[in-house]
Parts: sequence; C-alpha cells; structure tokens
Amino acid sequence: MNENRRQILEMLAAGKITADEAERLIAALEPEPATTVGEFNGKTAGNGAAPAKIHPKYLRVLVEANEKDDGPTTVNVRVPMQLLRAGVRLASLIPKQAHDQLDETLSKHGVPLTLSQIKPENLEELIDHLEDLTVDVDAKEEKAKVRVFCE
Amino acid sequence: MTPNIAIVRIETPHWRMPGLWIPLFLLWIPALLLSPLIFAVLLGLCIAGRVSPWRAIAVFWSILCSLPGTNVRVQSDGNRVFVRIL
Repeated sequence: MNENRRQILEMLAAGKITADEAERLIAALEPEPATTVGEFNGKTAGNGAAPAKIHPKYLRVLVEANEKDDGPTTVNVRVPMQLLRAGVRLASLIPKQAHDQLDETLSKHGVPLTLSQIKPENLEELIDHLEDLTVDVDAKEEKAKVRVFCE
Repeated sequence: MTPNIAIVRIETPHWRMPGLWIPLFLLWIPALLLSPLIFAVLLGLCIAGRVSPWRAIAVFWSILCSLPGTNVRVQSDGNRVFVRIL
C-alpha cells in the first residue's frame, strides 16, 4: 500500500479526520488525468527530443438519458485500463470446445469475431488502439447521449 | 495492489446515507481460512474445463489487482448510487 494512503487511513482510524475528508485526500493523491488523450503533454529534453505519448489510465463511459417516465438518468463509469487488459485475458480461460460454439453464435448474430484470435501478442495492440478511442453518440429523438473515451 | 476499501454511497430524495467504507482487506481473513476449499473447487473446475489452474489463478489475480480505481456513479430520478474501489 502507498505510504501516503496508509497515513490517511491511519488518521481515519484514529478519528482525526472524517470519512469524507479521507476520501478527498485519497482522491488528491491520484495522479491528474491527461488533458488530451494521445497528445503530447510534457516538456522536451532538447530540440530533437521526441514527444512522449501519455498513456491514459482509465476508460470512461458516460450515459445521459432523459426518459419520459423516469426522468433524467445518468451513468458514469470509470474503468482502469489495467482491468480491461485483465478482462481480455479471461478469453484464454474459455475451453477450446466452447470457442467454436461461441464463434458460431457470435457470427449468427452478426458479430464476426473469432475468440481464439485474441492472443497476448495482439492484446497490447488492441488496448493501444482503444486508447485513441472516442465515441460520441447523441440520439436527439431518444434524448440520450453516450460518450466513451480514455483519460 | 489488491483492493483495500470500497466506498458506497446511496442517496434518495428523502434519505442520504453517509459514505460507507467497506474494508475489503478484511476479506483476506476468511479467504485464507477457506483457501484449501477454494483451491480444491478451482482445481476441479479447471480440470473439468481443461484449463491450466495456474493460468486461471493468474488471470483472476490480475483482475483482482486491477480493480482499484474503478468508479461507478448512477443517478436516476433523484436517486444516486456511488461505488468506488480503492
């Protein structure tokens, strides 16, 4: 555990700070997200130095819907990119006989995806491409807005 | 790093729950006590599914370790649910 985080938790356990204060302090310890995904955001070491690409740490999904009966609904999910990497590795646990059945069912439903093609060597490539992903869906008739981006 | 704490907050138009801190690290105690049983079940499932148990453990461990930083906020009709894993 991070030393700063441990100190905050100890202060919370000792009753020196409230739970809300501890939450704010822990949130302040987290690194600032990149301002623009995939763009250079640092200083160059010299004239010819290549810009360093900042890798986003989180995938953010925002959904805003305004339904007639239920009123406005907002969903805001932040998923660590590391969790996506680990999640994709789950495909390696699917037994081989289930792969064929899954591929067949997916292609029947219009998803031409072969699960056996998801291997560790192309996993990193997949995640790298995901880092540049920004999806904005604005359905005016349904009054719903979906935004997916990395930060 | 495995998740240590989960913060859960629920709000309704008439009631607001203060932030509930759930000490997930305490789950290690029952997990360690039940580890022989968990390992036996996992081994049985892996043999049945013809999957390497070490690979299964590695995948589940990596998922567990990457959970910190996950935030979920849902707001609907004045009700709010906020879950954060630290």
